[in-house]
Amino acid sequence: MKLLIVEDEPALRTSLVEYLRQDGYVVEAAASYEQAHEKIKLYQYDCVLLDLTLPDGNGLDVVRTLKADRSPAGVLIISARGALDDKVLGLELGADDYLAKPFHLSELSARLKAIIRRRQFQGQRHLLFQELTVFPDQAQVLVNGEQVLLTRKEFDLLLYLLTHPGRVLTKESIAEHVWGDAADAADSFDFLYTHLKNLRRKLQEKGVGDYIRSVYGVGYKFSAE
Amino acid sequence: MKLLAATNRYYLLLATVLFTVGSVLLYYGVRWTLQSEVEERLFQQRDYLREQVQRTGRLPGTPFEGRMQLSAKPQPEGLRDTLLLEPLENELEPYRQLTFRLQLNGQTQWVSLSKALLETYEVQRLILLLLVGVLGTLLLGVVLLNRWLTHRLWTPFEQTLHQLQGYDIRQHQVLQLPVTRIEEFAQLNHTLTQLSERVAADYATLKEFTENAAHETRTPLAIMQAKLEQLLQLPDLPAPAGPLVGDLYAAVQRLARLHQGLTLLSKIENQQFAATQPLPLAELLREKLGQLEEFMQQKNLQLDVQISAEPVLLMHPALADSLLSNLLHNAIRHNQLGGLLRVQLSATELMITNAGPALTAQQEPAQFFERFRKQNAASESPGLGLSIVQSITGFYGFTVTYGYAPDPPRHTLRVRFGPAASAR
Repeated sequence: MKLLIVEDEPALRTSLVEYLRQDGYVVEAAASYEQAHEKIKLYQYDCVLLDLTLPDGNGLDVVRTLKADRSPAGVLIISARGALDDKVLGLELGADDYLAKPFHLSELSARLKAIIRRRQFQGQRHLLFQELTVFPDQAQVLVNGEQVLLTRKEFDLLLYLLTHPGRVLTKESIAEHVWGDAADAADSFDFLYTHLKNLRRKLQEKGVGDYIRSVYGVGYKFSAE
Repeated sequence: MKLLAATNRYYLLLATVLFTVGSVLLYYGVRWTLQSEVEERLFQQRDYLREQVQRTGRLPGTPFEGRMQLSAKPQPEGLRDTLLLEPLENELEPYRQLTFRLQLNGQTQWVSLSKALLETYEVQRLILLLLVGVLGTLLLGVVLLNRWLTHRLWTPFEQTLHQLQGYDIRQHQVLQLPVTRIEEFAQLNHTLTQLSERVAADYATLKEFTENAAHETRTPLAIMQAKLEQLLQLPDLPAPAGPLVGDLYAAVQRLARLHQGLTLLSKIENQQFAATQPLPLAELLREKLGQLEEFMQQKNLQLDVQISAEPVLLMHPALADSLLSNLLHNAIRHNQLGGLLRVQLSATELMITNAGPALTAQQEPAQFFERFRKQNAASESPGLGLSIVQSITGFYGFTVTYGYAPDPPRHTLRVRFGPAASAR
C-alpha cells in the first residue's frame, strides 16, 4: 500500500508519516502543491491524503488532476477550513472522504482503511484477527464459522478496535467514531464502558479471548498480547 | 416635531403679527388721509365763501356739490361728524361738517358746510381690500413656497437618513448617498460615506482576522492532538504517564470543541449560511432522537414525544441539525437519572422540557443564553449550546424563550418558528 501525504505543516506531516508507516504503509510526503503535482504525475498511489490549503496552490486542484488522469488513487481530504462548501466541493470533485482538523490519528487511519477496502478488495472484503473474521460491509462477525450477534454500535466498536490492533485508542476517538456528535449529549464516557462490557461478554460467550484491554486514564487497546 | 413644522411655526407667527399690525395701521392711515382731504376741501370752501361774501356782500348760489346750511342761531364752530338725511334714498348718511361764523348783511350767520364721507369710505374699503388681499396672498405664497422649497431642499437629507436607517454592517457595504448641490448636505454625505468606508474596512479586517485565527488555530490543535496520540503509542511509555497524556488529550479535545462552537457562532453572525432548503423538522427530530436513544437510556430518561404537525422550515441543513442537537443535548445533559424529557412539536413551535436541578434565586434565566454560562462550572461542556441555539433562532427570525417551573423542577425551552415556517 502506497500513500502520498500532502501537508505543508512539517510537525503534522511527520506525525502522519510516522503513524501510517507504523500501520505498514509505504508513505511519501509532499510539502507543497508543486511537489504534490510532480509526485502524482510520476508515481501511482493507492491513496492520497490531501490538505486543501497549501502555500502555493489549492489542494482541490490536485484532486482535479488525479481525476483528469483517471488515477485509481483514493483521496482523503484533511482541511483546516472545515467549511461546508469545501467539503461539498471536495466530495463532488471525487474525493472519497473528508476530515476536518483537528482529527484523531486513529480516526484518520480508520477512514483510510475504509477507502482502501472499498477500492481494492473487490468481493473479498474481510478482516482477520486470531479466531475472529469480520465482514465490514455485511456487518458480520464469525468465530470459527459461527456468527456472533452484535448490535450496530457494538459492531462499529469492534471494527474500530480491530482496525487498530496493538494501538492505544483514546476514549474520545472511539466515542466520536461510533457515536459522532451525539456523544456530546453524555456527560461522561460511561456509555462507552457499558457498550464495551457487552461486546466483551458476547465475544467471550463464543469463546473469543479477551483482547480488549483498558489503558488506565486513556482508553482502550485491542491486542492479543 | 419636524424641522419644517418648527421653522414654519415661527414664520407664521411673525407673519401674522406683521399682518395684523400692518392692516390696522393701513386702515387708520387711509382713513386719516381721506378725512384730511375732505376737511381741506371744507376749509377751502369756507375761505371761498368768506371771500365771496366780503367782495359781493351776499352768498353765492350753491357752487358746491356739497351742502350748505345757514342758521341765525349760534352753532358750535369747528369740524364734526354728522348724519344727514339723503333725500333721494331717504336714509341717513355720514357727513363731515364744518361750521363757522360769517358776517352777512351786518348779521352774524352760522354756516355749516357738509361733505359726504360715503365716497371716501368706498375708496378706503377698496384700498384696504386690495392691500389686505395682496398681503394675504403674499403671506400664503411665502408659506407655500417655503414648504415646497424646504421639502425639496431637505430631500437629500431625508434620503441620507433613510439610507442610514437601513444600513447593516454585515452586508459589507459602503453607504451609497445621493449627490446634492447643498454644501452642508454634501459635507454630511461625504463624512458619512467616509465613516461607513472605515467601518466596513474595520469590519472586514475583523472578520478576516477571526477567520484566519479560526483557520490558523486548527493546525496547531491538529498537531497537538496528533503528537499526543503518537506519544500514547510509545511502547515504553511509563505507566503513570498514561493518565497525564490522557488528560492533556481530553483538554485538547475540549479546546477543539470550543473552537468549533465559536467558529459556528461567528459564521452565523457573518451570515455565512445563506443557502436554505425546505426541511421536514419532524423527520429530523425523530432521526436525532433515534441517535440519542442510548444516551437517554443511559440516564433512564422518560421520553415523551408529541409530534402534532409536520412543519417544513426553510433552513440551512447544518443549522437545523445544530439547533436540534444543541436543544436535545442540553436537555439530556442537564437531566437527572430517571428524569422527564418531553419533546412537543407543533406547526408553529418546538418545546423541549426536561427535569433538572432546581434553580437558585440568583440564577437569571436570560443568563443561560450567554456564552460560557454553565449551570455547573466544572462541566466539560464549553457552555456554548444555548448561545448557538439563540444565534440560530435569531438568524431565522424565530424566538426562543426559557421557562422554569419549580415544583418539581422543569426547564422548558420553547422555539417559536417565524415566517420561515410553512405547514406541509
